[in-house]
Amino acid sequence: MIVNLAFYFFSFILLASAVMVVTSRNPVHAVLFLILAFVNAAVLFLLAGAEFLAFILAIVYVGAVAVLFLFVVMMLDVDFAALKEGFQRYAPVGALVALVLFGELFLVVSGWSTLAGAPAARLYPTPDNLTNTAALGNLIYTSYLPLFQLSGMVLLVAMIGAIVLTHRDRKRSLHQKLSAQHARTPEQTLRLVRPELGAGVSVPASEKEAT
Amino acid sequence: MIATLQAFFQTDLGIVVLTLLEALALLVPLLIGVAYLTWFERKVMGAIQLRKGPNVVGPFGLAQPFADAIKMLFKETITPTGADRVLFTLAPMLTFGLAIVAWAVIPVNNHWGIANINVGILYLFAVSSLGVYGIIIAGWASNSKYAFLGALRSAAQMVSYEVSMGFVIVTVLVCVGSLNLNDIVLAQRHIWFAIPLFPLFVIFFISGLAETNRAPFDLAEGESEIVAGFFVEYSAMSFALFFLGEYANMILISAMTTVLFLGGWLSPVPFLPGGVLWFLLKVLLCLFVFVWVRATLPRLRYDQLMALGWKVFLPITLVYLVAVAGVLEYLGWLPNA
Amino acid sequence: MTSLLPILPALLLGLGAMALLIVGVLAKPEPAGFTTWGAIVLLVAAALVSCAAPDTLLFHGLLKTSLFTRFADALVYTAAVAALLLALDYNRKEGIARFEYPILVLLGVLGMVVMISAADLMTLYIGFELQSLALYIAAALARDSVRSTEAGLKYFVLGALASGLLVYGISLVYGFTGTTSFAALAGLLGANIGYGAVIGLVFVIVGLAFKISAAPFHMWTPDVYEGAPTSVTALFGTAPKAAAMALFLSVMTGPFGHLLAQWQMIIEILAIISMALGALAAIGQTNIKRLMAYSSIGHMGYALMGLAAGTEAGIQATLIYVAIYVVMSFGAFACIIAMRRRGQAVEKISDLAGLAAQRPGFAFAMALFMWAMAGIPPLSGFFGKLYVFSAALNAGLVTLVIIGIITSVISAFYYLRVIKVMYFDAGAPDFDAVPASVNFVMAVGAAVTALFILLPAPLITAASAAAKALMG
Repeated sequence: MIVNLAFYFFSFILLASAVMVVTSRNPVHAVLFLILAFVNAAVLFLLAGAEFLAFILAIVYVGAVAVLFLFVVMMLDVDFAALKEGFQRYAPVGALVALVLFGELFLVVSGWSTLAGAPAARLYPTPDNLTNTAALGNLIYTSYLPLFQLSGMVLLVAMIGAIVLTHRDRKRSLHQKLSAQHARTPEQTLRLVRPELGAGVSVPASEKEAT
Repeated sequence: MIATLQAFFQTDLGIVVLTLLEALALLVPLLIGVAYLTWFERKVMGAIQLRKGPNVVGPFGLAQPFADAIKMLFKETITPTGADRVLFTLAPMLTFGLAIVAWAVIPVNNHWGIANINVGILYLFAVSSLGVYGIIIAGWASNSKYAFLGALRSAAQMVSYEVSMGFVIVTVLVCVGSLNLNDIVLAQRHIWFAIPLFPLFVIFFISGLAETNRAPFDLAEGESEIVAGFFVEYSAMSFALFFLGEYANMILISAMTTVLFLGGWLSPVPFLPGGVLWFLLKVLLCLFVFVWVRATLPRLRYDQLMALGWKVFLPITLVYLVAVAGVLEYLGWLPNA
Repeated sequence: MTSLLPILPALLLGLGAMALLIVGVLAKPEPAGFTTWGAIVLLVAAALVSCAAPDTLLFHGLLKTSLFTRFADALVYTAAVAALLLALDYNRKEGIARFEYPILVLLGVLGMVVMISAADLMTLYIGFELQSLALYIAAALARDSVRSTEAGLKYFVLGALASGLLVYGISLVYGFTGTTSFAALAGLLGANIGYGAVIGLVFVIVGLAFKISAAPFHMWTPDVYEGAPTSVTALFGTAPKAAAMALFLSVMTGPFGHLLAQWQMIIEILAIISMALGALAAIGQTNIKRLMAYSSIGHMGYALMGLAAGTEAGIQATLIYVAIYVVMSFGAFACIIAMRRRGQAVEKISDLAGLAAQRPGFAFAMALFMWAMAGIPPLSGFFGKLYVFSAALNAGLVTLVIIGIITSVISAFYYLRVIKVMYFDAGAPDFDAVPASVNFVMAVGAAVTALFILLPAPLITAASAAAKALMG
């Protein structure tokens, strides 16, 4: 009973915050509602008994992805009036597309019947005596190993892409070379001289450092 | 009487009441601990810097935390103009709340955690990674440049150090074969993980300093450059909540270090039984190091902080993880969960 | 899984790409030439190894290799090598000679190879994403050019939508059947099925149609072709098209093979719209890259015709068509890349005016490719169309064939117009000397296109064997 109540409670918050993501006037609020939606989705996973997925969702999406997202949105100066203008103009088209999709979904759900052979065809039924973290690990690192590795390649491509598209070598920036600094000895940098009165010191060209 | 009570605690309502009682039993000492941590810090720093520290209010200044709390309570709460009121009030509560809820899974003694869930370490990691929101929301909602700069610094810093922290945790998990905190402690019966995984222990603790925005990683506050960073606009109780949240987080990180590396409640002496006292002692030791570091080290420059996280800790933890997994596999010591 | 041989090509590509990445990061100055040649060597090696790989089902049925996958792999490798050769000189002259580009191409090809050998919907999706992501980045390679970044962004946003639809379709199919394996799906999806799988199938088709830029999912094509650096466009026009078409074939005939009645009509409509759009929209184009974009949409329409037939002969025809198209296409792009006046790339059709008088060889090659694309005998393009039309006729798709013939007559107009501009319009293009690598690609393309009639047997028997392996 409590589980059912909790399910409806969190689903309601999830849906409400999803609506708020779209309708919020302030982009930062929209992102915060998105985060709330993520958290609630994680809780729903938890209620479904998928605790590993729940916490990974919280760690990855809420803890890392959304932070960066929030970061960007906070720094942008988004002109919401301009955005809303487009929203008004495309709303009818959007509504039509949504309606069609909803109709299709309705058809799918109302006519839903899994195939007779479907449960038997499930590749990996949920094991009884394992926590679902262990069960997932057993699958991902054995049967689905190539997919796991390829997902890594996808991330590698994303990383290369981020660097290719944004990294610029600044020729003029001043880098600190710690190793060079530490390797310096007093003899290299310091010379004690006893200048004669009124004569001053002449610095040899080799000791003049280019600035 | 006892039988009825036992029967009551079997029902749904009873479980809720029991859990609340357990939470109370943990939270009250925790909050007192947080209050006295401030006193402890000032005393230790005083000793290190050859001062006396608080010594006026009560014997040895022991009533100082309460005096501070009363002062905070009676101050005026100021909300800056142009601040986002809802978020501005929400941020300190979030920080403090998250620092508190994390304690739900910490086992202070064998099976003494409020919730002994089988992905406890993930829960801890998730909650501590949410901690950044309190800061970033506070910084943004204050409508102040200093606060915003502090929030940005802190968000980037926490996200960076979480990565290496995650790898440290994964390495420990490889050694344990379970995500349950109780199991993690019990796996250290023979040897604390601080010994075979010493470099990771150090990295974890340093990352913990960064996660809690403590010196020498307190760039988010940076009082000499950005006044007080993200909580520059806060006053009275909302300020106190941030303050308490920071100290609660320190205790939490110390508890995590204890559980992951210092053998939790296990006794270091062969003849003595383990127990809560050992746990407290180890947490206290960690807290002392927190304070010690603050009193000793100067603040890092921001690029040094980022370089340390990404160019030093991340490669080391990655290589160490692979090496540990390789050694365990080679020796056949991998735990079979 | 007793041997690594079947996945050795993929390992070579992935590990090689990482090794090149390390070299690229550490070496100073940027070793763009080195990584390009390294990538070419790796691609050739992978192609040779993949020829030797045996037919198997790998990793609990996630991947499979067969004559069909080898045929498609060979096409992809060839196209990628050609595209890299074309990029060698062009990227340097445009100031975008980044060492990462060949690495991105390698990883993209890895994605394509995975896509081609997919025997499970999840493998399909991951391969699809891997190659898409690499291509999005490649499109925006000239990051200081507004057109290029716009192309990258447009491709990315629309591509993300398409892969969203694809994965949504996959989830519906999975929800309906409880499996993602091709073999299990083929067994389960008999005649009696509900809405769920059919709507899932439609979404999967949309995602794949986007990738091969079949109309009406072609919106990105002209802008991306025009905006991306020409060396990247040369890649877009060939390798991913071949890979996505191969994937299309294996998905439609494999897991959804028994649903022919459900998807045949959809494919026919896609083919008709693509052919019509390719023929009509290209007429008004003045930019040769946009022209090639519409031309590729049209060609994909013809290639889909073979799939619409749904027979083994149809599959064979599509494979032949795609193989011929890939060769014509990289040849044509070699010509476009060679259009460079005083160090500045030009891409207007009118810039070609008077080319025949100045550079008869160049003009002749370009004319050859245009002729072949129009499908004029005795060039290779004609045979492609011949096979596709006859397969469709034998399957009883008379309307489709009639429309195909009409649209190829219309499209002949704009191909021939390019030839007319080169041969009969007055002008002096004064193009720069063509670098050897581009000349080589152009010559190979021209030779294959022109001389295909003399030695058609290898391709046709290979395609036939591949089709048999797929349907058998």
